[in-house]
Amino acid sequence: MSAAIRAERLRKVYPGSPPVAALKSASLEIADNEFFTLLGPSGCGKTTLLRLVAGFESITGGTLHLFGEDIAHLPPEKRPVNTVFQHYSLFPHMTILDNVAFGLRRLGKPRQEAAGKAQEMLDLVQLRDYGARLPNQLSGGQQQRVALARALAPRPRVLLLDEPLSALDLKLRQSMRLELKRLQRETGITFVFVTHDQDEALAMSDRIAVMSAGEIQQIATPGEIYEYPANRFVAEFIGDANFYQARVEQVRDNGATYLTPFGTRLAGPLVEGAEPGRSVTVFVRPEKVTLTAAATEGNLPGRVRDVIYLGDTTDYRITLEQGGDITVRAENHKDGRPLANPGDDVFVELDPSALRVLKE
Amino acid sequence: MTAVLDRLKAYAGVAPATLVIGVFMIAPLMIIFAYSFLEPNPYGGVRPAFSTGAYTKLFYERDLFDEMVFNATYLKITFRSLWIAAASVAACLLIGFPVAYYIAMQPPERRNLLILLITIPFWTNLLIRTYCWILVLRDTGLINNALISAGLIDRPFTMLYTEGAIVLGLIYTYIPFMVLPIYASLERLDLRLIEASRDLYATKWGTLRQIVLPLAAPGIIAGSILVFIPGLGAFIAPELLGGGKNLMLGSLVQLQFSSARNWPFGSALAVVIMAVVMLTLMLYARNARRNGGGLQH
Repeated sequence: MSAAIRAERLRKVYPGSPPVAALKSASLEIADNEFFTLLGPSGCGKTTLLRLVAGFESITGGTLHLFGEDIAHLPPEKRPVNTVFQHYSLFPHMTILDNVAFGLRRLGKPRQEAAGKAQEMLDLVQLRDYGARLPNQLSGGQQQRVALARALAPRPRVLLLDEPLSALDLKLRQSMRLELKRLQRETGITFVFVTHDQDEALAMSDRIAVMSAGEIQQIATPGEIYEYPANRFVAEFIGDANFYQARVEQVRDNGATYLTPFGTRLAGPLVEGAEPGRSVTVFVRPEKVTLTAAATEGNLPGRVRDVIYLGDTTDYRITLEQGGDITVRAENHKDGRPLANPGDDVFVELDPSALRVLKE
Repeated sequence: MTAVLDRLKAYAGVAPATLVIGVFMIAPLMIIFAYSFLEPNPYGGVRPAFSTGAYTKLFYERDLFDEMVFNATYLKITFRSLWIAAASVAACLLIGFPVAYYIAMQPPERRNLLILLITIPFWTNLLIRTYCWILVLRDTGLINNALISAGLIDRPFTMLYTEGAIVLGLIYTYIPFMVLPIYASLERLDLRLIEASRDLYATKWGTLRQIVLPLAAPGIIAGSILVFIPGLGAFIAPELLGGGKNLMLGSLVQLQFSSARNWPFGSALAVVIMAVVMLTLMLYARNARRNGGGLQH
């Protein structure tokens, strides 16, 4: 069984002066039936990568295979992939049913059969009675569902989704997340999903590729990405983190011990070029740190500088007595009161296992 | 009282427009219409006596025995005009659409330059430009001389004073009117729709037929009307390039007011042309309404 998509050193440079390398070198393998997400800030090359797979852009360098077949030089209409566009791109002069049946008709299906299949797809996205309308008579959320139905109707082997939810409001976005995940499970089609929204990526994906500046930073499951980010960019882009410099104390065959600025020792993976005395970056997620009033042994004393109320949780910016800052994210009291107020003297409980070493 | 004043003010606002349309459009049309129902004065102008003679003259003439017999001359001229105008529209469309498409696909700064180039011929007088075509097309003209000196033909190939030459002249004169509206509708075309179409297995040709042409339809129709209407009543190209041999409606009308001294008949012809044009426009308007302006985006 070959991978649904295999890209090796895929490269895209837009001509111009100076030429723009939108995608510097991307290698990845997406398994069949996977919900794979390309995540990154705008301009990171994620959409370019998607457009290369769809065939809208020509490849500057590298190879691209779809189920073992070299598709680098096929025009879009010869690739068994379909795209859900960010701005829906429904054909304004056609009814909803004709829009959804468009791909099937172009594949040579008779009118009756295409219309029947299209109606099935409309049922699937819960727009049963909308077939006779025109796109501009539908709301944004409905148009997005039609775009989804249209792309799924020809049963592509891979479905490409280019920030399909970004134009919808929050509530709709959240319900569409579940819907997309359901559709992916029910159809068994490989989904390649492009987004800049980390919550979306974490909630839906089997695996995520985090991209930045035209390069893939890390490919892993949502859990791994969050817990063991490959570098500082990934750690900062997904979730929040406190960063500190630690020192390599001892290097062993399969790992190393690091001395943290909090006077604790941390066993972690071997960082490239690690030798005793060298400095490495460690980080801790704010929700893995606890705020306490008790001056227990090992707790770090500090003073609350800022309190940022977030609804379900509150962020506390604390200046540590030993120097440096730390952000703690904690649930509020049951009655809604925050745990501390600006100016309060508090203690921070930092479990050594919550600290992670960044490999790069 | 104030209500009357307000109403007067409102009328005062539209007065200049009403005046312009009234004096420069409605009044001349009314005069033409009225003249078409009067008797001709042999020395030019009209005699103030009611007559439908001008309209019957379209189809009948008096023979030697003073009896009305059917006369197809003017019908022939009308049909020739219709087909020459239609051929010009078809040719303008075939040439104009690719040009408009090409311009619309260029980067924005380039587009403006190219559109400017399209309008450059308007900077020179039409009469002079049409005369130049005589120099190009005539038996001892540019094309024939070139072909003969290249040894491709040994006798001049007659191009001037043919219906083909008239069509060529009309294409040359009116093609900007085809390119510009098509360009306007293509420029607004969302290019992502083309990608969506290709993504859904439509070939380039299929995308053109299924997506681009339907969405450019308003521009195509507008361009066709803008070429057809002046083409039908064209005067300069048929006169100069058709040599007056292949009479068209425009020349016929001109003839009635000058040498033939039959103003009512000339007026009647003008009314007929106008009726055809109005009918075309009404059909277009009805069609546009039926499509609910859905094509307009």
